[in-house]
Amino acid sequence: MPSTALLLSQAFNGLALGTLLALVASGLTIILGTLGVLNFAHGALFMLGAYAMYVVMAHTGSWLLGLLAGGVFMLVVGVALERLLVRLFYQRPHEDQILVTFGAGIVIVEAVRAYFGGNTKSVPTPPWGQGIVRLGFLFYPTYRLELIGIVAAVLFALYLLLYRTSIGLVVRAGIEDARMVGVLGINVRRAFLAVFALGVLAAGVAGMLYAPIVSVQPDMGGSFLVEAFVVIVIGGLGSYPGAVVGGLIAGEIISLTSAFNTAYSEVMLFAVMALLLVLRPQGLFGSEGRV
Amino acid sequence: MSTSLLELEAVNSFYGDSHILFDVSLTVGRNEVVALLGRNGAGKTTTLRSIMGLVTPRSGSIRLDGRAIAGLPPFEIARLGLQLVPEERAIFGQLTVEENLRLAALTAPNAWSLDRIYEFFPRLRERRRSGGRQLSGGEQQMLAIARALIRDAQVILLDEPFEGLAPLIVRDLVRVSRDLAAQGRTILVVEQNVVAALSFADRVYVLNNGHIAWEGTPAALRGDPALMKAHLGV
Amino acid sequence: MKLGRLAPEAVLAAVLIAAPFLLVHVGFSYDLLERILDWGLIGLGFDLLFGVAGMLSFGQAAFYGTGGFVAAWLLVGHHLASVWLALAVGTLAAGLVGLGVGALAVRRIGIYFTMITLAFCEMGFFLENSPLAAYTGGENGLPGVPVPQLGPWRLTSGLPIYWLLAVLFLAGFVLARRIRHSPFGAVLAAIKGNAARAGQAGHSVPDYKLAVFVIAALYAGLAGGLLGVIQSYMPPDAFALDTSGQLVVQTIIGGVGTLIGPMVGAAVWLWLRDNLQMIPHVGALWKLILGLIFVVLVVALKRGIAGELRYLLTRRRRAAAEAGVPEDSADGAPMPLAAPDLPLRAPLVATRADAPALRALGVSKFYGGLHAVEDVSFQVRSGAIHAVIGPNGAGKSTLFKMLSEEIAPTSGRVELFGRPITGLGVTRATQLGIGKSNQLNQLFLDLSVSENIRLAALARARGRFRADLWRAADSIPAVERQVALATATVGLAHRAQVPVHVLPYGEKRRLEIGIALATGANVLLLDEPLAGMSPAERVATRALVREIARGRTVLIVEHDMDAIFELAERITVLYEGRLLAEGTPDEIQRNQAVQAAYLGGLHEHEPA
Repeated sequence: MPSTALLLSQAFNGLALGTLLALVASGLTIILGTLGVLNFAHGALFMLGAYAMYVVMAHTGSWLLGLLAGGVFMLVVGVALERLLVRLFYQRPHEDQILVTFGAGIVIVEAVRAYFGGNTKSVPTPPWGQGIVRLGFLFYPTYRLELIGIVAAVLFALYLLLYRTSIGLVVRAGIEDARMVGVLGINVRRAFLAVFALGVLAAGVAGMLYAPIVSVQPDMGGSFLVEAFVVIVIGGLGSYPGAVVGGLIAGEIISLTSAFNTAYSEVMLFAVMALLLVLRPQGLFGSEGRV
Repeated sequence: MSTSLLELEAVNSFYGDSHILFDVSLTVGRNEVVALLGRNGAGKTTTLRSIMGLVTPRSGSIRLDGRAIAGLPPFEIARLGLQLVPEERAIFGQLTVEENLRLAALTAPNAWSLDRIYEFFPRLRERRRSGGRQLSGGEQQMLAIARALIRDAQVILLDEPFEGLAPLIVRDLVRVSRDLAAQGRTILVVEQNVVAALSFADRVYVLNNGHIAWEGTPAALRGDPALMKAHLGV
Repeated sequence: MKLGRLAPEAVLAAVLIAAPFLLVHVGFSYDLLERILDWGLIGLGFDLLFGVAGMLSFGQAAFYGTGGFVAAWLLVGHHLASVWLALAVGTLAAGLVGLGVGALAVRRIGIYFTMITLAFCEMGFFLENSPLAAYTGGENGLPGVPVPQLGPWRLTSGLPIYWLLAVLFLAGFVLARRIRHSPFGAVLAAIKGNAARAGQAGHSVPDYKLAVFVIAALYAGLAGGLLGVIQSYMPPDAFALDTSGQLVVQTIIGGVGTLIGPMVGAAVWLWLRDNLQMIPHVGALWKLILGLIFVVLVVALKRGIAGELRYLLTRRRRAAAEAGVPEDSADGAPMPLAAPDLPLRAPLVATRADAPALRALGVSKFYGGLHAVEDVSFQVRSGAIHAVIGPNGAGKSTLFKMLSEEIAPTSGRVELFGRPITGLGVTRATQLGIGKSNQLNQLFLDLSVSENIRLAALARARGRFRADLWRAADSIPAVERQVALATATVGLAHRAQVPVHVLPYGEKRRLEIGIALATGANVLLLDEPLAGMSPAERVATRALVREIARGRTVLIVEHDMDAIFELAERITVLYEGRLLAEGTPDEIQRNQAVQAAYLGGLHEHEPA
């Protein structure tokens, strides 16, 4: 049986990983819920965010500038991707949507590899995030701790955007019945564009925030993509609260399992997903019949 | 009849490759209430959907206040002051009553205030925090009409507003429809409940198998049981 | 004819024989050719799964890895001496894993299916990597996989192993092609086109999906085992997500649905990788370029290399089949009604002489608070034409769906010839002899008219599920007779070879009836058969309904009152989900309540 201290620090790690997964998965789930498109390029976009942070940090050393410039860059990427590619696929079968976003992901990963090379880049921790914090009887890296707060704030901002603004009103209505939103005088296509860009931004911001504590290289997005899929299966397809709660659950499953046996941490996550598929296929927050 | 505000000329519409409307021509004058009647499957709903831009006619013209609107996307047609209240009502069940109304008002230049809507539909004020899914059929229909009204739509297309509602609620909604007409709104209503529809229409078209089969006044239709039976009854 | 059918196999055999002698000069080493065929072998199964049945799996690496590591572990650990036996056990193990994953995955469609396969693939990767590292070597894989012994020969690396792969690939191709052209394959193609209708026609869709999923896993498992043999090393990245992804890309580039496509795609992918990697500056770009090509192919709906080739080769035949189909069935196009006596298959249910063909006993359907149908009871005399009418929202379509078992009633039950069918589901109900033509056409648009009808006839002949992989779909005489008669009955004999998507609407509508007819139904439900038809077509279709009703029970929903009063011997009227009246056409026409219901006059007493 692992010690209490180990369990506690793993619980914290789980929180850090869980908030990251929640952020990545919320971008995925907003796009899926509104546009019906499962974005296989999401992992590549997460990676792109990390590289954006790397580039800006390498040139200016400013974390905040990295976040702002990176955010703008991700929005541009999102808009371009929707306009050039995804838009053509709203009426096509799901399989085609998966294929084209999967292909876009390959192109993004390989373009980054061609430009930056395949080796790992390191992104420095911002000055205010260096060192270690003592939490009672447990030491914890400062940036990871701050990150939990920052991501919680981003998730809350996303919540406000989705539930307290007119853009959010359009998005939530669009998830239910995009056609009727159009009948009420709202340009649905533009709303779709905004949603897609927002989802891409969420993936990118996650990549930027986590750049200092993960190894930045072209293939880094792949495993996050799969874990984000698991998160939205657990939380329920297209559900924002489901993505957040599912992300936290997934993070804790991985971290707490590895306190007992590291070998089984990821396996346990998939086992839980399989169990859920049998017992409650629509996920925790999903409604029956959406699939 | 004054100048015609809405005008369909030789409209042909299809669902996939199924031909639904055959050369449908009709006019709705300013401040006029026109009923479009006919049996199931006659093409009534398709007519309304063609006007709203949800179905693009393959041929023919649709004019709103002289401007050709066939082929425009629904959101642009809505911004010109025309509003469909669909048969299935299409209330957003996850949104509250008030959110449904605010959403509808977003792009309307002369949107009504919520208060003004609630004066018209006091029941909706009581239910304003309720989710759309929790509303009764009658409340849903009120909300569907209210969404058109809050946009200050000049032309309202009502698709079977009384379907599946209890007689008392139908009576209420007929009163609402009359009030709208009295305020100078233009209404094109599709209804199976012929009695209710005739009670507030100025003029009637009868559709049969996608063709306009008859045009006239409610009185003329009521006075001709053979006609009623041929096109509407059993 | 027979020879023509074997042409692709002959061409492939020739190419496989020539390849090691010709292609070595353009950068294809023996090793490269072996790996291409290995990928091609997984691809045969994957193309049956995705290209034929339409199920996009990102999980093939799990089965590839399973087959590979089970075989390698058996051999490296000296648990088995025979390479052949180890390959067989590995293949079976992959099939078993496929059965388990498939059981969870195939009941979900589209996005869900793909995500589940992907997740299990990743799970396999992590299992291999750590918990099972003692058996699999973890990140190091398993080195030292021996080569097989064939009689006196050791199949050493180089040409001998190439011949082994060539023979196995050819055998795999022959089998895959037989499967695609078998009745089993015909059902898979139908599932891709319209899974709901395939189930409605009497095929157990989940069973077929699971079966093809397992077949694909078996192919992948064999290929995985061979990978270890080729390289005398079993690499852990067989389980990697990238393996599944690479398979998908190769399949699209090579041509999806062509069986040979994944192999062609693998040739392109692996040749580029091996030959461009050495060139500076270009080395890193080949994958980017392939990625772009992949995206363009998907966006522009292109067929890939083998697909484009097949398209060009079959162009003339296709043009001939589509010739003479009018753009639009304008008014007056008379229906060539051959009207032969379509023999009724012996009813599968024990018909009691006194039992009504169909009986509803107090059936209700509630959606939340909405009572779509409430406590409706009626019965249909065997051999009658019986109509159900009612204004919009009366619950007619809901009632029909309950009668055909597409949806389960909230309460009450339905009996077919005295036998309760409630709860059986639409597939079993169809097998018991109830068929339905739908309000909206549910056709297999990419298949020909006779393939559409054959699909229904096959369900009756073969039951809910049968894995007849070897015989040809059009080789069952009883089925072919049924197809010919049903096609002629609905007047589409002259269109038998035409792909359905080019048919005019009226003919599609008749095909919808033809499919229901070809299930051999004793009780036929027709939901608005005349909807959307021109006046001339209506006349012809009324005649068709009368023709069909000879020797069969017909229950019909229709808005065309003239047609109803002409055809029906009894009419049931629904109003707001309840039974309002029932009687002969004369009685219904005189019924005041019915008149009032249609005019909304039930509210007349209210001061409107």
